Amino acid sequence: MYAVDSPTTPAHRAPVGPGANEPAPRRRKRRGKGDDVVLPWVLSGPALLLLAILLAYPVGRMLVLSFQKFELKELWTGATPKWVGFDNYTAVLSDSAFWSVVQRTVLFTAASVVLTVLLGLGVALLMRRVGRVVRMAMIIAMMFVWALPALVQAQVFKMMTDSDVGVLNYLIDKLPGVEFQNHSWFYTPTQGWIVITSCVVWAGIPFLAITLNAGLTQVPKELMEAATVDGANGWQSFRNITLPILKPLLVIVTTLSVIWNFGLFTQNWVMRDGKPEPEFQTLATYSYVQAFGQNKYGLGSAIAVLTVILLLGAMAVYIRQMFKIGEVD
Amino acid sequence: MAVVTATAPRRRKPNPAADGTMTVGRTRTGNLVANAAGVIFSIVMFFPVYWVLITSFKPQTEWSSFDPTFIPDAPTLDNFKSAFNAPLFKQSLVNGIVITAVAVLAALVVGFLAALAVARFRFYGRRAIILVVLAVQLVPFIALLIPIFLMLQKAELTGSSIVGVTLVYVVLLLPYTVWTLRGFIAGIPRELDEAAMIDGCTRGQVFWRIILPLTGPGLVATSVYGFIQAWNEFIIINTLNDPEHQNLMAWLMQNQTSRGTYWGPLMAGAIITSIPVVIFFLAVQRNIASGLTAGAVKG
Repeated sequence: MYAVDSPTTPAHRAPVGPGANEPAPRRRKRRGKGDDVVLPWVLSGPALLLLAILLAYPVGRMLVLSFQKFELKELWTGATPKWVGFDNYTAVLSDSAFWSVVQRTVLFTAASVVLTVLLGLGVALLMRRVGRVVRMAMIIAMMFVWALPALVQAQVFKMMTDSDVGVLNYLIDKLPGVEFQNHSWFYTPTQGWIVITSCVVWAGIPFLAITLNAGLTQVPKELMEAATVDGANGWQSFRNITLPILKPLLVIVTTLSVIWNFGLFTQNWVMRDGKPEPEFQTLATYSYVQAFGQNKYGLGSAIAVLTVILLLGAMAVYIRQMFKIGEVD
Repeated sequence: MAVVTATAPRRRKPNPAADGTMTVGRTRTGNLVANAAGVIFSIVMFFPVYWVLITSFKPQTEWSSFDPTFIPDAPTLDNFKSAFNAPLFKQSLVNGIVITAVAVLAALVVGFLAALAVARFRFYGRRAIILVVLAVQLVPFIALLIPIFLMLQKAELTGSSIVGVTLVYVVLLLPYTVWTLRGFIAGIPRELDEAAMIDGCTRGQVFWRIILPLTGPGLVATSVYGFIQAWNEFIIINTLNDPEHQNLMAWLMQNQTSRGTYWGPLMAGAIITSIPVVIFFLAVQRNIASGLTAGAVKG
């Protein structure tokens, strides 16, 4: 689509290779020595071994666990867990609490990703318009936000929305005719989620804005000038020149945001002091609480499996895009 | 104003590339609005960071009042003293440093070798390895925490042992390490390898004398990112280990739940915990962003 016809033909190599879709360049690079077969596996051996023990095996174990009854008894006595078939899944899927968690997680993901991407793009565009000093100020502010650990980001928002000493209540209280002293932001789930979403969006903007700003530098100035000469207005140039060039990057940052925000744990966990009420559970915290809070490890695994399944689509888009762009050659 | 907007000459036209911005659609009012928006944006973004900073220097009378001071009236270091003397602070600091250092170093060595394989060899299964590395970066680690906990608990590497959590951190850092170093190594021209081999170097010598030194900046950037990842983690360690064997970030979380709204000391603790991360982050920011989207802007 974007000068990249085939995932196996990286864009930056395309002109060099003799044929766009032939594996010729690949064959040419092969040195034909025996160690080329064994050596790479020896080199990547330790990494693969570690990944196998602490990633592949746990993935398998998680799948197995999701079909077992594994609770406190099995944990302490080491008794062989009993196979229960799809019991965990039926229990989860027929539980209305689970569905409201799914709904909440999806809703939060949609809202936070749309906001982060739109604001990130807006800030990136704004960065191209402002003077050097202002741009520097924007970058510095964003760098500090980005650098803060997620735990601290969440704690600051918790403090600023504190009902007794929160600066947000103080500022809103200053508005004429508004009484906001001791207002509790986490009394209703809607307001609580507004705080959590604001925190996530605020924390997410720097990565989006700075990455997209880097992408914007790739938009050829000649194209924009030609469009202006041809009478295109700002929106038309943006729609027909900037956006198509930015699209591969936008797809990547959007899918990454979806994956990250769908797995929301830190912010709602921290803001609810490590014991989120049902209205503040996301799939990640829900699965965690079922396992480590209720000691229902089998049930928790089933929820975790369902979470990953829900994410597979976004993960596939991300990986496909990485291959398509030709970074992976 | 509207007329001026429409006809105002573009400023800086003679040297549009000087600040790297686009000149299209620029007008004087437009500039003014944009700059104002930029300033407001910077203030709003930075305010929470500023708020952490000043809260940590406020005496209790100031941070616990509904009428906050925007510049502390009587700045004090008491909050920092309180954080330093809080239970388990020093222990968690030492644990955090040990766990992070070991995990980063191990991930770097193991990851470098794997990156070498994917970047410098064409072999059957190479694409599969890349696919695995890309995919596992995306799996929410919390989802795998249940089986990992059960596994490490059986091996008696949890509770008062920091071995288990260190191993988990190595694996947590590994995909990104391989991925980023792969990019750095791929950026070194193959001709250098070939020239060295013609001059009589063995494969091993090429890796050791050519590729390793040239990947230096990449190794620094990757290890700093790894440091940040491991340092910021608190959920896994909090689940696996007992309170005496936490890192600083988990200590901070425990502080919040045990001391509640004791904001002054809590924010001082947050600053102490964040300082190494913020410094390192600001030093290598450029590489972190490009690792996740590398190549995406080559167009």
